[in-house]
Amino acid sequence: MPSLYRLHRAALCAAVFGIAAISTASAEEIIIGAATAQTGGLAPYDQPALAGLRMSLDELNAKGGLGGKYTVKLLIKDTRSDTAQTATVAQELIDAGAKIMITPCDADPSISAGQLTQPLGIPTLTLCGSAPVLTGAVGDVMFGTYPADNVQATAVADFAVSEGKKKVFLLTSPDSTYTANLPEYFGKVFEKKGGAIVGRGTFSMGQPDFSAEITNIKGLADKPDLIMTAAYEPDFPAFMQQLRGAGVTIPVYGADAIGTPTIKALGKLVDGVVYTSAGYAEPGSKLEAFNAAFTKYAGHAPESTYEVNGYEIGLILDQAVKTAGSDDPKAIRDAIAGLKDFDGITGKITYAGTDRMPLRPVALMRYEGGEGKHVQTLIPDAADVPAP
Amino acid sequence: MIAQQIINAVSLGGVYALLALGLAIVFSIVGLINFAHGELMTLSGYALLASLVLGFPFPVAVLVAVSCGALAAVAMERIAFRPMRGASVTSLLLTSFAVSSLLKVVFQNGISARPQAVAMAGWMTGAFSFGDFTIGVGPSISIVVSALALIALEVFLRRSVTGTAMRAAAEDFDVVRLMGIPASRIIATAFLLSGLLAGLAAMLWVAQRASVDPLMGFTPVLKAFIAAVVGGLGSLPGAVAGGFLLGIIEVLLQATLPGAIAPYRDAIVLSGVIAVLLVRPQGLIPAVRAQRS
Repeated sequence: MPSLYRLHRAALCAAVFGIAAISTASAEEIIIGAATAQTGGLAPYDQPALAGLRMSLDELNAKGGLGGKYTVKLLIKDTRSDTAQTATVAQELIDAGAKIMITPCDADPSISAGQLTQPLGIPTLTLCGSAPVLTGAVGDVMFGTYPADNVQATAVADFAVSEGKKKVFLLTSPDSTYTANLPEYFGKVFEKKGGAIVGRGTFSMGQPDFSAEITNIKGLADKPDLIMTAAYEPDFPAFMQQLRGAGVTIPVYGADAIGTPTIKALGKLVDGVVYTSAGYAEPGSKLEAFNAAFTKYAGHAPESTYEVNGYEIGLILDQAVKTAGSDDPKAIRDAIAGLKDFDGITGKITYAGTDRMPLRPVALMRYEGGEGKHVQTLIPDAADVPAP
Repeated sequence: MIAQQIINAVSLGGVYALLALGLAIVFSIVGLINFAHGELMTLSGYALLASLVLGFPFPVAVLVAVSCGALAAVAMERIAFRPMRGASVTSLLLTSFAVSSLLKVVFQNGISARPQAVAMAGWMTGAFSFGDFTIGVGPSISIVVSALALIALEVFLRRSVTGTAMRAAAEDFDVVRLMGIPASRIIATAFLLSGLLAGLAAMLWVAQRASVDPLMGFTPVLKAFIAAVVGGLGSLPGAVAGGFLLGIIEVLLQATLPGAIAPYRDAIVLSGVIAVLLVRPQGLIPAVRAQRS
């Protein structure tokens, strides 16, 4: 069928010329590797964040790519929420040519991926890993994006002190950096501002039974007026259920990891629980507009602020490539490290002068009647924030 | 406070005992440690959630959930284990791991990787006071349900023909078959009972944890396995004893260990298990098996 053949050739010619025509505008592609959990315990955190990132990259690609110049090709591989598997897929992504690496919402797998990207100088950003020790453990290519644990803890402690709380019980788990350190940061600030730590308890993640720990809390001679923990699902619902079930009504405060639909759906059980978030969608705010746009993009409303945080990672990368003026990983790294008062969706984001954990606002929220109510948004005083 | 910790221990031990019994019943008859037992719990948990979302009253939802666990166990036997009948212990074990992994992925991709909240009725988080100590409604229900389930199972095994056949099959399956009892019926009943126990345990588990997630079956099946081994693999009284022992040790350690050593709790528990097995290699109450030369 010659006519069809000719047609093919014509199409081929058009395609070739088309590409040539485009190539003057943007022939370049930049590969971003995303080593993130699609399965396992981190998946509920990584997936929303990744959805936000994809949205921003899709939008940026429609405008020509990062810095208007480099079309992004996002390669995603599943880490199965496993630290060793994260290193394996990070290596695969590096081999595939990734010039920027995105890592899971937790310090330990992010560090394992960072060990591989650090010697190559590939800028690496964790989706919502918030342990401030994370960047120091890897080196100058590693960036946090979410408000750091010590910053969040300071915000919650400031609030607790302002409410007149005096005595706190800290519930930690040595199983992750987040659950081990965040309540301790809280304790440091709380003590410095006149509060007292009247007891400490530990749990193992996935532990079925909190009754012994709860009985210990009930038996404390010096009764706490607050319990601070960084436990998250499924441990946090279990702890709350058993705590309230044992007749203990002491308020419980936590941090960002309990700002999820699961915890919200617990209803009355979590009434009064204070937690943190990367932002709050006030009417007319950029975040409210983002939430509407995301709902249109994904077909469902954002579950938390992890989506907007992922979206902001895309904006940060865009700005960094613009500043760097190239796709050289080292230049991009330097540009991210130099960001100052960058206008994000949730507020101003600054890396300059930090240990690559950003300075950015923290929103305090409180569950009431199955809804997360905004309490206040603040940037804690840098002098109050305890060292990692 | 000591009385309180004893209640905690009995409550946790009761759940472990139900779980270990579920494993032991199947093991005593087919020689299979069913590592997909935990996924039966997960399935019951999701069935409870679905029933509540559909607006069923709480008791009906619990009934639906427990039945789902039991039916799923029978289906699991029919689909995955019956074709493997007579296979080596290793093959059966690997099959159970395969079923477990498969179900986890189905839950994760089909429902959600995120835990789903199961808001329990308000009275479940209540507590009543006796003098100067309070008992939670949750732990009390847990203790009562475990006790009733253990008694009902005992009655079934002692008083019914099928129950008697099952006890006989645990000792010598071949002879029971020679007596004209169909093997498939015995095995299906064993799975049905283990599914029922898994469903009940799931209700108590979810009531204490207020959420269901795709991976929630992992910890309980591990605890049940430890309890069954300590008690004596395949021995039903052993499984119950092992379950209570494990629950008591865990609560005791959690209550008394100083903060610095507390993270090593699980290591200490498992060391205890090794110690028990060194003294009694067949477990606390070894299973009775017919010896044939």
